[in-house]
Amino acid sequence: MFSQILEGIKIALSAMRSNKLRSGLTSLGVVIGITFVILMGWFLQGLDDALEMAFASLGTDVLYVDKFDWSGKKSWRETMNRPDITLKQCEELMERLKSAEVTSIIARKWQTTVKSGNQSYKGIAVCGTNSVYSGIALGVIKEGRFFSPVEDLYSSNVAIIGYEVAKNFFGEDEPCLGKTIKIRGTTFTIIGKVEKQASMFAPPFIDNQIYMPLKSFLGLFGAGKNLSIAVKAGGEANLDNTRMETVGIMRQIRNLPPEAEENFAINETEAFRDNVKTLRLSVWAIGIGMTTLSFIVGIIGIMNIMFVSVTERTKEIGIRKALGARRSSILFQFLVEASSLCLLGALIAFVFCSVVMFGVTRMDWATFLSPYIPPQLLLIATVVSIAVGVLSGMIPAMRASKLDPVEALRYE
Amino acid sequence: MEAPIIDIQSISKIYTMGEEKVHAVKDISVQIHRNEYVAIMGPSGSGKSTLMNILGCLDTPTSGTYTLNGTLVSDMVDDELAEIRNKEIGFIFQTFNLLPRYSTLKNVELPLVYAGISNAARREKAEKALRNVGLGDRMGHKPNELSGGQRQRVAIARALVNDPSILLADEPTGNLDTKTGDDVMRMFEELWEKGNTIIVVTHEPDIAAHAHRVLRVRDGLIESDTINEHRVSIPKKHEEAVEAEPAL
Repeated sequence: MFSQILEGIKIALSAMRSNKLRSGLTSLGVVIGITFVILMGWFLQGLDDALEMAFASLGTDVLYVDKFDWSGKKSWRETMNRPDITLKQCEELMERLKSAEVTSIIARKWQTTVKSGNQSYKGIAVCGTNSVYSGIALGVIKEGRFFSPVEDLYSSNVAIIGYEVAKNFFGEDEPCLGKTIKIRGTTFTIIGKVEKQASMFAPPFIDNQIYMPLKSFLGLFGAGKNLSIAVKAGGEANLDNTRMETVGIMRQIRNLPPEAEENFAINETEAFRDNVKTLRLSVWAIGIGMTTLSFIVGIIGIMNIMFVSVTERTKEIGIRKALGARRSSILFQFLVEASSLCLLGALIAFVFCSVVMFGVTRMDWATFLSPYIPPQLLLIATVVSIAVGVLSGMIPAMRASKLDPVEALRYE
Repeated sequence: MEAPIIDIQSISKIYTMGEEKVHAVKDISVQIHRNEYVAIMGPSGSGKSTLMNILGCLDTPTSGTYTLNGTLVSDMVDDELAEIRNKEIGFIFQTFNLLPRYSTLKNVELPLVYAGISNAARREKAEKALRNVGLGDRMGHKPNELSGGQRQRVAIARALVNDPSILLADEPTGNLDTKTGDDVMRMFEELWEKGNTIIVVTHEPDIAAHAHRVLRVRDGLIESDTINEHRVSIPKKHEEAVEAEPAL
């Protein structure tokens, strides 16, 4: 069996060599099909990886009590009309909530102007929070540390800066600890720097952010802000429990009657998953559609060329039969030839995809994608191409195997 | 007496061409024994080719029986016939029928591939067969790098490589000049001397002159079956064969 396969591949290779252009053109459909399979799989995997990373950075067991709904299911008007979440409500919730592991207030001021030396940047988000926030959803502190509970309590003027902020003010890999920035006239000492966090799903502002103790924040921007609270359930198993308790307490704090709708949102990473599912699905649908289409074209092309090949080699088939080739040998020979054509297509696609991947992953937005073809995709693509070969070669090969040796020998 | 290697009992072959039925072979019975050298002659349309195809197990008769080397082959199906052809019959064609993309050696190995013989044994046998026909130094050549005579010798090596019971040659010298044709005929002579059974299908009397027995076919019937008493043996030169012609 093995020697037959080897023999078949040799025959196929010599047949392809003598018809280079024709073989290349014929396998084009397969090239395109395999390219789609690989690029789609590659993109989806990158998407999944990026998503998991984004979830991890937000915390999969973290609830965000917020005025706004992340899922986008509520109308803008409705959420705008909701009451702000006040500091007092936050503190009451945090005090009464028993099932959560850690809770932290998050206050944000968007579009802040920040100065350092004679540099000035607009559009930086300032985030006031508690010292425990570093254990909830902060990225990895690359240099320095997060502020301590004491600094939190005494509203120290310390700041932890995001990757973009550090890059803009001090340069990408320059030291920034101990340096100062000025926000609304107040000087803050930089004590930490957060690693780059933005990806396809984590919003870009996350890197263009400055963290500081909540009290310092409230001192700068006033206490009349809409706040949100991060509630870490401590394990996904506890999430439902914590969600129920959080909702219950918030309703009580807001004195909502039993029949009233909640006028706050409990956000969690699950909300993103739904959005991404739609994206995933559409990538799949487009990919599968394109792949199917190109494979159909590929199969027709290869089937056609195999018919030509069988006709061209009628005499050869006759000779082989005269010398004792069984039907199965002839069938096998042409199936191997068709599969080899498809494998050739797959190889071309591998090269093409590698080039595309290399190019694309050098771009900034595509860092979530793998720079090479994932091995399981190589395997899938190889198997698919062989299957396409067998499928498209079957009818021509059957015809070849059933040729009458007398007729075939007479063919010129 | 030893059982005949070929035993054909009243075979017929009818082709259906459109509405018309062609009776290519009507009623032929013939026995050929081991180590006979037989020429089958006949004009085109005589049924000679059909008879050859049946003898070569490329085709089966419509009625009648054909026993080859003790095996009833007339009722066999495609794949069984393929196996018989592989084991029992060595074909030599007018147009040589070598595979153009294959080297000489690969061409000769081909019957052994279908016999399921291992790579190393295949190579050894094929090399030996090529040396036996004097082409030991042409193993890597492609057919188009060889002369007509050399090609036919490759074909002979291929026909012999699997030790068949009969050699079936269809106009073996038809595409060769007289000199190389004579070389081929001399080879047949030698093969016969070594004990091979040879059947040559031809319409050329001077080719048939080499055989011991001549079957003449006409209109799907055996017209005559004669022992060739004035056989031309091992012609050294073409002239001898021509001189022998009137004797037929």
